[in-house]
Amino acid sequence: MADLTGRGQRRAARYSAVALLRHGIGGGAWPRAWRTHEPKRSYQVVIVGGGVHGLATAYYLARNHGITDVAVLDKGYLGGGGSGRNTAIIRSNYLTPEGVRFYDRSLGMYERLAAELNYNVMFSRRGHLTLAHSDASLRTMRWRAEVNKLSGVDSDIADPDEVKRLVPFLDTSAGARYPILGALYHPPGGIIRHDAVVWGYARAADSLGVHLHQDTEVTGIDVVGGRVSGVRTNRGPIATGTVINCTAGWSTLVSALAGVRMPVQTFPLQAAVTEPVKPFLHTVVVSGTLHVYVSQTDRGELVFGASVDPFASYSTRGSLEFIEGLAGHVLELMPSLAQLRLLRQWAGLCDMTPDFAPIMGSTGVDGFLVDVGWGTYGFKAGPVAGEAMAECVATGRTPEIIAAFGLDRFEEGRLVAEKGAAAVGH
Amino acid sequence: MTMRLDRQPGEVIDRRVEFTFDWNGRTYPAHPGDTIASALAACGERIFSRSFKYHRPRGLLTASHLDPGCIVQVGDEPNVRGGHRLVHAGMQVRSQDTWPTLELDVKAANDLLGRFLPAGFYYKTFIHPRALWPSYERVLQRFAHGGVVSAEPPHPADRYDKRHVHPDVLVAGGGPAGMATAVAAARAGARVLLVEEEPALGGHLRWGRERELSALAELRDLVATTPGIEVLTDSVVLGRYDDNWVAVLQRGLPHVRERLVKARARSLVVAPGLIERPYVFAGNDVPGVLLSTAARRLVNLYAVRPGKRAVVLTANAEGDTAALDLERAGVEVVHVEDARRGGDVVRVLGRRGVQAVEVAGGDRIDCDLLVTAVGWTAPASLLTMAGDVPVYDRRAARFRPDPARLPDDVLPTGGIVGDGSLEQLVAHAEATGQEAARRARGETAVEITALPVEPHPALFHGRTHGIVDFSEDVSSKDLLTAVEEGYDSVELAKRYSTATMGPTQGKLEVVNVVAILAEATGRTIEQTGTTTWRPPYVPVTLGALAGRTREPKRCSPMQTWHQRHGAAPLVAGAWIRPDHYGDPAGEVRAVREHVGIIDVTPIGKLDLRGPDVPELLNLLYVNRWSKLGTGRVRYGVMCAEDGVVLDDGVTGRLDDEHYLMSTTSSGAASVWEWVERWLQTEHPDWRVHVTPVTTAYASINVAGPRSRDLLRRVVEEVDLAPETFPYMHVRRGRVAGVPGCVLWRIGFTGELSFELHVPAAYGLHVWETLLDQGRDLAVQPFGIEAQRILRLEKGHLIVGQDTDGMTRAFGASLDGLVRLDKDDFVGRPELVWQDQGRGHPRLVGLRTVDGSVVPAEGSQLVEDGGRICGRVTSSRMSPTLGRSICLAQVAAHLAEPGTEVTVRLTTGGTAAAIVAQQLAHVDPEGGRLRV
Amino acid sequence: MILLPCPWCGPRDAGEFGYVGEIGVRPDPEAATTEQWRDYLYFRQNVAGWTRERWYHRMGCRRYLAVQRHTLTNEVRSASQHAGQGDDS
Repeated sequence: MADLTGRGQRRAARYSAVALLRHGIGGGAWPRAWRTHEPKRSYQVVIVGGGVHGLATAYYLARNHGITDVAVLDKGYLGGGGSGRNTAIIRSNYLTPEGVRFYDRSLGMYERLAAELNYNVMFSRRGHLTLAHSDASLRTMRWRAEVNKLSGVDSDIADPDEVKRLVPFLDTSAGARYPILGALYHPPGGIIRHDAVVWGYARAADSLGVHLHQDTEVTGIDVVGGRVSGVRTNRGPIATGTVINCTAGWSTLVSALAGVRMPVQTFPLQAAVTEPVKPFLHTVVVSGTLHVYVSQTDRGELVFGASVDPFASYSTRGSLEFIEGLAGHVLELMPSLAQLRLLRQWAGLCDMTPDFAPIMGSTGVDGFLVDVGWGTYGFKAGPVAGEAMAECVATGRTPEIIAAFGLDRFEEGRLVAEKGAAAVGH
Repeated sequence: MTMRLDRQPGEVIDRRVEFTFDWNGRTYPAHPGDTIASALAACGERIFSRSFKYHRPRGLLTASHLDPGCIVQVGDEPNVRGGHRLVHAGMQVRSQDTWPTLELDVKAANDLLGRFLPAGFYYKTFIHPRALWPSYERVLQRFAHGGVVSAEPPHPADRYDKRHVHPDVLVAGGGPAGMATAVAAARAGARVLLVEEEPALGGHLRWGRERELSALAELRDLVATTPGIEVLTDSVVLGRYDDNWVAVLQRGLPHVRERLVKARARSLVVAPGLIERPYVFAGNDVPGVLLSTAARRLVNLYAVRPGKRAVVLTANAEGDTAALDLERAGVEVVHVEDARRGGDVVRVLGRRGVQAVEVAGGDRIDCDLLVTAVGWTAPASLLTMAGDVPVYDRRAARFRPDPARLPDDVLPTGGIVGDGSLEQLVAHAEATGQEAARRARGETAVEITALPVEPHPALFHGRTHGIVDFSEDVSSKDLLTAVEEGYDSVELAKRYSTATMGPTQGKLEVVNVVAILAEATGRTIEQTGTTTWRPPYVPVTLGALAGRTREPKRCSPMQTWHQRHGAAPLVAGAWIRPDHYGDPAGEVRAVREHVGIIDVTPIGKLDLRGPDVPELLNLLYVNRWSKLGTGRVRYGVMCAEDGVVLDDGVTGRLDDEHYLMSTTSSGAASVWEWVERWLQTEHPDWRVHVTPVTTAYASINVAGPRSRDLLRRVVEEVDLAPETFPYMHVRRGRVAGVPGCVLWRIGFTGELSFELHVPAAYGLHVWETLLDQGRDLAVQPFGIEAQRILRLEKGHLIVGQDTDGMTRAFGASLDGLVRLDKDDFVGRPELVWQDQGRGHPRLVGLRTVDGSVVPAEGSQLVEDGGRICGRVTSSRMSPTLGRSICLAQVAAHLAEPGTEVTVRLTTGGTAAAIVAQQLAHVDPEGGRLRV
Repeated sequence: MILLPCPWCGPRDAGEFGYVGEIGVRPDPEAATTEQWRDYLYFRQNVAGWTRERWYHRMGCRRYLAVQRHTLTNEVRSASQHAGQGDDS
């Protein structure tokens, strides 16, 4: 645990019920969750992207490795990209043993995160159901269940009766157009308050001395002799020997600033939320065949998502086809929800890679690292990615847990085997 | 005690008819035309709901669709907008989330704890102990604020549908500006669709005085008599998407609940008027505080007296007029506080209803009604969806659209653009309508002279803290707290406090939020900016968005026969196929011992003609095709550019330049696209013509030792003798009298078999003839399950089951097929490197040592105490061998025949298994095929 | 959805089309090194701006088109027959 005194650190005010009581009685103001600084002219590490990945990396650099001369730059507000737009589902029921290990570590970190950051991120363990509507799909669920079990992760196949017991609102009858044949049931899966994760990491990183700079856009990356020497921003230049690209949607552009090419295509991913109703759905439900997933927040809103848009784009405007298709599929699963009203739709940008796995670690440019290509599964990996990238920077070596995700795997033809689970990957 | 007034000139209720409805278990009277809110207000009811967090009593605020205080449950329908929904006889209405009653709600205790529960308090607590978090969660869930959704499936008569329209000009908003625009556009020759949210056209004219009502009548008459205008009332534009793709929700139809109208509008005119803004001060959410438009609507539309003694806070002409309307309605207007002359309201006293108002200057005035008129907000969402970024106009104290940022096909008009007299608004609207019609015809855009903008005092909040977001129970103090803690940009403050994220979607509150944040951060409103407006403009039901579900089923011509004969249906993509007829093992035996027939119509079929077909086949398949003679058939595998197996099938040469290619059924459409892609984009010089014939032919596979005997009885023009019609050949002839059939001898099942492709209209006839003619040969239909077992016994792989998204050809044990010494074919480069690598997993035949153990498909192969080294891809009990058989993907070092591997069973135990010599478990030499 | 100006069918909703992707140059499979080949397979320009891409009019004329589209605004500038590597549209 890093030394909390001196070097620009400060002890963040402790959050607790007792503190709430004290403030309520005394009426005093809470201190800022994180401070604002003028950007320095140089930092040891510059992280581009102030979402969960960038902030977690900064936090673990400071906490695990004592590296606090770190700046996190975001061209907008913290968590304004994928971290603020995702549907906040956490799970580890992946297809490959490496994938399972990776996401399961993340799940465990999320479970402990509120206590670690002293910020309630509201992780709610709900159980995660991936419905199978065909025998091919059920076979893939079985494959995942077996791999999960062998890796010590709680997953198994549930038959239609069990599915109905878990989610009474589901139409599990044989008369449905695509009858439910069974499901992959993963009890440890759940949902979380995504903004709280961003704010929690931001506050904790700040208390350890990390500088957070919002509204700071990186406009250039200086590379001299094959090695990073600094970044240029709309608030002036910053000298540094280490730059980490933790952006989503814009990762190709940022990497291009350093002269690094990416095997990425950016697609919008849309989502929508309904008005709140009294809680009735206590499990996260995913259907690969119907390309839809549903969960209900503690506030009572249903959150919906589906697959990425059919064509690559940087537009987050959203489409009518998306909410029409989504509503149709949700009602096929749960026909009694017809009167529920959709309140808001939005979109984020997803960087899709050829093998549905991220790109992490070093690149051909010394000092320029990437933590990108997170497709539709980036948020659930925030903690483990941050921890691994921090280790990568601090030790100069690629940690075992992310060894399969190197950028060089594409030119070497060593793609990651998660393609099988990627039907609707949430 | 009735608050209903005598007849008002503009009233929309029909006094001749009276009926009753239920509110929280008690009966109330109403007239046609009353909304739930107006009917209850007419009876003196003032409290309609409890607020989200603090469960404070809430009454009407806007008396319109947007009213946050009157969201109620109607029957099994949650979250109904009581300020908009028309009441009808027998309606059962209940307040939401109140217990035990609306009047005495226990959660109101939260209000007392308010100071301990500021916005975002939950982020600061419930952290320890972790084990209690699920319990904390259950408590938080109790406070989820909304109606109840029932688990009952919808009533069959509850329908939603959709409609497509192609208007030249779509006008969003049926107030005076909208109506004038529609008429002008129609007169200019455009087809117009006019959409109005309320049950009748007119906008604010409807609750006006004689002058407004007479202008209203004139405009309504013009709309009704001008040809080319379709009017949708009780309908609202939900969103404007790319290229003027506009969604309209139509309500109030007699035979469908709601209809989604989708329009590709050439021009979109946005005329939503202005929304009145609430004022922020202590007690601004107490029942009895109304916006001036609410007061005027209640009095003039519904003939309801909103209170007995009123104070009016006014900053504009509409507020002044509201005071006059109230007086006319018999309300004692005891005090008018003029904000233009420094007047202000400090606080409202009272909890269950307004009891007194404290004004600037210190006076405390007893009253039961406070009406505020402090300003307007432009509901610019449709414009921002089109790319507009609204600009804050200091003089007018509101955001206005920036015409420079709008695309040519979107035009704003009416109050959203500027102010002026009714005549000026109508003139601008007419000019807009004409311009919209011109642009719809494709003519160059011409700018329209803007409307004047009148000054208005900037009034957002008073000198005390009050509610900013009524539906989320967010106060101005909460916003200041958010800023204090560092959540100081509009986006962060919104997310932290949840202001603008509730059922009112920000329309009532966003400008007040921005103004308060600006002040708290020492910035201007312009610098603070605003949040992004997102569709839908009003909340819309999932039912309306879904419409009628149309998921077509694809059936072969024989499907009715299968159903009648007890076939268990198998959902295979969009197809419904026969899985089995009751005894799949028996069906397998029938094929091995005598003859069976199976309906394989969904198999993809492509008719290829032209001199360059062999080039195409050589390019797309991994094996050689140049020397395929007429009458011959060959098996082929297609790979993608990265060497991954895409599809497999057989292709036969029917004639010199005529081939028939078959694909897997799930690949039928994609392989056709794949073939077209290579022909159109890479080899447009090749002379090949492709026609998809998947559904042009019904396909039947006749398999078993007696299949030739059976076919002899029904086939003409083809000599079926083994020397003249060998294995892997194709012929054309008549089957059961049907000309133009294709027959080939292939061997998926491992028995002597013929696949017939019959013109689809005759499929059923041929099927029934085969069964009839083969009775003494013990012919039986067999289904997909039996076929799976048969092909597994023969070791035939299924692409997508025995291969996955990573399997390259050598990983599917197709070594014998791949011809690396061929010229370029798709996938070759990677296959060359894969071949050189040799470390990849391979597909093998596998048999458990204990033949009675049938591992589940997907079971993992493990070594060294748990390390995964493969998986079982196909697995069945073989009726022919009386033991289980499998195919498996195994790691390279375990792929040698005879290797023992460990299968981890799904029950948790393990089973030993041996890698077989070859993939086929039955008749590996293939002797039975070639008879 | 956006409208694509199909050269044969006129402006049609993008939902009628299949999206194939960026038009890249297919290297000569005989001559390409593993690096060049895998670059073609996996690496993309992913431009935030005007891009040249391939669509297929699946529910229409079933022709492959080359389309110029701005990926930030979804504005479409032109669509023409996609006739292979050398075509200049």
